[in-house]
Amino acid sequence: MALNPMHQFEVYKIGPEINLGGLNLSFTNASLFMTISSILILSLLFFGTKKKLLVPSKIQLITEMSYTFVAKMINETAGSSAKSFFPFIFTLFMFVLFCNMVGMLPYSFTVTSHIIITFILAAIVFVGVTVIGFVKHGLKYLELFVPKGVPVVLLPLIIVIEIISYLSRPVSLSVRLFANMMAGHTMLKVFGGFVISLGLLGGWLPLGFSVALTGLEILVAFLQAYVFAILTCIYLNDALNLHH
Amino acid sequence: MKNLREISTRLEIARKNIKKPQKKNNSSNAASIGKALKISTELVASVVVGSTIGFILDNGFDTKPLLTICFFFMGVAAGILNVFRSAKRMNKKF
Repeated sequence: MALNPMHQFEVYKIGPEINLGGLNLSFTNASLFMTISSILILSLLFFGTKKKLLVPSKIQLITEMSYTFVAKMINETAGSSAKSFFPFIFTLFMFVLFCNMVGMLPYSFTVTSHIIITFILAAIVFVGVTVIGFVKHGLKYLELFVPKGVPVVLLPLIIVIEIISYLSRPVSLSVRLFANMMAGHTMLKVFGGFVISLGLLGGWLPLGFSVALTGLEILVAFLQAYVFAILTCIYLNDALNLHH
Repeated sequence: MKNLREISTRLEIARKNIKKPQKKNNSSNAASIGKALKISTELVASVVVGSTIGFILDNGFDTKPLLTICFFFMGVAAGILNVFRSAKRMNKKF
C-alpha cells in the first residue's frame, strides 16, 4: 500500500458526504489543498502589501517580484492592450504555482496532478479567450481560421486543420501540466520505494536520485506554472490583436 | 603613458563585463526545458483532438474507419503546424 506509487493520487472525502441534486459536493483532500494554496496566496499578498516599506522586507519583496514578473510577462507577450487582464493571469499563475509547490511538501496532495482540474483551468482560458475574440472583433474573429495567401482550392482542408489546431489548445495546455506533475510525483515515489526495499546496503543510490529529482521537480513545478501563464498570454494576444 | 595604460586595462575589464551577461542569457537552462515540454505536447494534443473529432463524426455518419483516418492525418498536419508556429514565435523573441 505504502509502496504503491499511484496511491498518492487517491481522492478521498473529508468530513460528511454532501449531495446536492445528485451532485456529490463532498469536501475532499483535493478541495482541502486547493483551499490551503488559496489561503497561502492571499496571506502572502496581504502581509506583503500591509506595511509598504520603501526598502522592502522579504515578504514584500516576494510579493513585488511576483507582481512585476507577471506584469512583465503580459507586456512582452500580449502587449499593453492585455493589461486589463492582469488580475486573471496573475490569479491563474499564482494558483497553479502554489498548487504545484504545496504538492512538493511531504504528506501533501498535488491538486494539479488530476486532469479534471487542469482541464477546467484550460477550458476557462479557452472559452474566455474565444468570447473575448468574438466580442472584440465580431464575426471577423473567424478570419483566424483563414490564413492569408492560401489558394482557394486548398481552403477547405486548411480551415479544418486550423480548427483542429485551435481546438487542441486546451488539450495541450491541460495535458502538459497534468502529465508533468503526475509523472514527476510517480517517479519520486518509485525512487522512494527503491530506497526502502533495497535497505541500508543498496538504498543510497536511489536516495541520491530522489534528492536530485526533488530539485528537478521544484524546477518543473515553477516552469509549468510559467508556461501555463505565458500560453494564456499568447492566446490572449491572438484574440486581441488579430493578425497571423 | 601610464594614464593610457590604465585606460586600456579599464577598457578590457569593461569589455569583459559586457560579455558576461550575454553568456548567461544564452545558457538559460530552465527556459529551454520549458520550450521542449511545450512543443512536445503541442504535437501530441493536435493528433488526439483530430482523431477524436474523426471518431465522433464516424459514429454520427456511420462511416466507421474512414473519417477517423482522414482526421488523424489532419491532426498530424495541425500538430506540425502548431510546432512550426511556436518555433517561429521563439525565433521572433531573440
